[in-house]
Amino acid sequence: MNNGEILTVRNLNVSYGEAKVLFDIDLGVKPGQVVACVGRNGAGKSTLLKSIAGFLKPLSGSVTCDGIGLIGLMSYDIAKMGIKYIPQDKKVFSDLTVRENLELGSYATKDYNWDQVTDYFPKLKQLMDRKAGHLSGGERQMLMIGRAILGSPKVLLIDEPTEGLAPSIVSHLRVVFGELRKKSSLVIVEQNLPLICAISDKVYAIKEGRIIKELAGESVKANICEQYL
Amino acid sequence: MMDTQLLISGVIFGLSIGSIFFLMAIGLSLCFGLMRIISLDQLLYYSIGAYITYSISLVTGSLWLGALAGMVVAGVISFGVERFIFLRIYERDIAFTMIASFGVLIGGVGVIKSIWGVIPRPVPIPMVTQISILGTEVPFYRLLVVVISLLVYVAIWLFLNRTIIGKAIRAGIEDVEHVEGLGINVYRLFTTTFIIAGTLSGLAGGLHAPLIMVDPQMGLEVMPFVFMVVIIGGLGSIKGTLISAFLVGQVVSLGSLIYAPLAQMAPFAIMLLILLIKPTGLYGSKLLKR
Repeated sequence: MNNGEILTVRNLNVSYGEAKVLFDIDLGVKPGQVVACVGRNGAGKSTLLKSIAGFLKPLSGSVTCDGIGLIGLMSYDIAKMGIKYIPQDKKVFSDLTVRENLELGSYATKDYNWDQVTDYFPKLKQLMDRKAGHLSGGERQMLMIGRAILGSPKVLLIDEPTEGLAPSIVSHLRVVFGELRKKSSLVIVEQNLPLICAISDKVYAIKEGRIIKELAGESVKANICEQYL
Repeated sequence: MMDTQLLISGVIFGLSIGSIFFLMAIGLSLCFGLMRIISLDQLLYYSIGAYITYSISLVTGSLWLGALAGMVVAGVISFGVERFIFLRIYERDIAFTMIASFGVLIGGVGVIKSIWGVIPRPVPIPMVTQISILGTEVPFYRLLVVVISLLVYVAIWLFLNRTIIGKAIRAGIEDVEHVEGLGINVYRLFTTTFIIAGTLSGLAGGLHAPLIMVDPQMGLEVMPFVFMVVIIGGLGSIKGTLISAFLVGQVVSLGSLIYAPLAQMAPFAIMLLILLIKPTGLYGSKLLKR
C-alpha cells in the first residue's frame, strides 16, 4: 500500500491504436474514500476506469491495489481481486432475470448474501423474476451496482452512474454511495457536480487525457469543479 | 398431386436431415454467439464423428458404440484445437479466426484422407425396422435420429437455463465484457462451449453416417445447409436453430420430391427472403461486436 492507498495509479499512459488518450495519470485512493473524476466528454475519464479494470492495456505506467500490480492481469482476475467496474451503458443481461443476473455476481464471488443488495435497493426484491431487459434505467443501474457489490469489493469504479436517471433515483444513489463507502472505496466518473461535491473526498479534473487539477477537502465545491467541465 | 405416402416419407426424411443440420448448427451458432468466431472446423468434427463411427462399428458391430466414440474423439480434438489455436486468436478479427478455422478444416480433411483413404465408406443402419405412419412404412432409425436431436435440444436448453455455466454463456452471448467484469473467467466458458459444439458435431456425423456414404468431403458438402440453418435461425439462438434446421430439412426433402433442383435452390431462396424481412434471422438477438 502506498501512503495508505488501496489503489494507486502512477504515470499511466493509454492509447487507442495510434491515438494516445491518457498522459502520465497519477491517482490515489485510500480505503473508504470517494474519489471523483470530472471533465468534459472525451477527456479520458472512462478510459481511465477501463484501464484500471483491465479492459485496456496501457502503454506504460503502473496500477496497484494493496501493493499488487494489476497491469497485465486479465480483467476477470482484477474483478476477482475486488476491483469492480460498473460501466455507464447500464447494460444488464437483458435475456436473464434479475435473479439470474445476481446469480452470476454470486457465482463469480461465491457471495450469496443478497440481503446486502436488497437492503440498498429494496425494489429489486419485487423484480427478481423479471427479465432485466424490461427494467427501467434506474432499476438497471440498481441491478448493476447490486451485482457488483457482491463479494464486498475493495474498490468500485463507477462510470456516470446518474446519467439519464430521475432526480429521485439520483437522491437514492447518493444515499447508497454514502453507505457503500463504509465497505469499499469508490472511484466515480460523473458530470453531476452537486452529487460529486456532496459525496467526494477528492476530485480529479481531467482535460484532454491529463489531470489538470486535484481538489480535496474544502476545495471540493461545485463552483470550483465547474471550471473544469 | 403428390402421393400421400411419398409426402409422409418426405417429411420424415426432412425431419431426420434437419436433425443432423441442427446438431451441427447449434455448435456454430453458440461459437459465434459467445466467442464471435465462425468455427468452420465444426464441419471437421462432424466428419471425424462419422469416420470413428465407421471404424468402431466395423470392429464391434455396434453403431451406438461407434457414435459414442465419435462424439468423444470429436470433443477431445475440438478441445485440442481450441487450446492450441483459437485461444491464441480470439482477440483477432473475425475474418482471421474464420480463415484459421478453414485451415483446420482443410488440414483435418487431409489427415482423414491419409488415414481412411478417399473411397467413400458405407456404415450399416443399426436397425432395419420400419414403422407405419398413416399407412406409410418409414425407417425407425430416421425417427430415432429426430428423437435424439430433440433430446439434445432439451438437454442444451436445460444446460443454458438451469445451470450457472449455461447462464454465464447466455450472458456472454449478450456481452462478454460485462461477464468478465463480474470476475468470471470467460475463456473457460469459451472452452466449454467449444467442446460442446465439437461433441455435438461428432454426434451429428455418427448419426448421419448410416444414412449416407462416409467420405472425406462430407463436411464441406453440408456446409452451405448448416450455414443457412444458423443464419435463418438467428445467431446465438438455440430455439431458432432448431426451427430453422427442420425448415431447411423440409425444404430440401420436399423440394426434391417436387422438382429435384429445388432441393438445392429453395433453401437459399428462403434464407434470402427471411434475411430481407428480418436480417438477424428468426430468433436472432442484437449481438454486440466483441
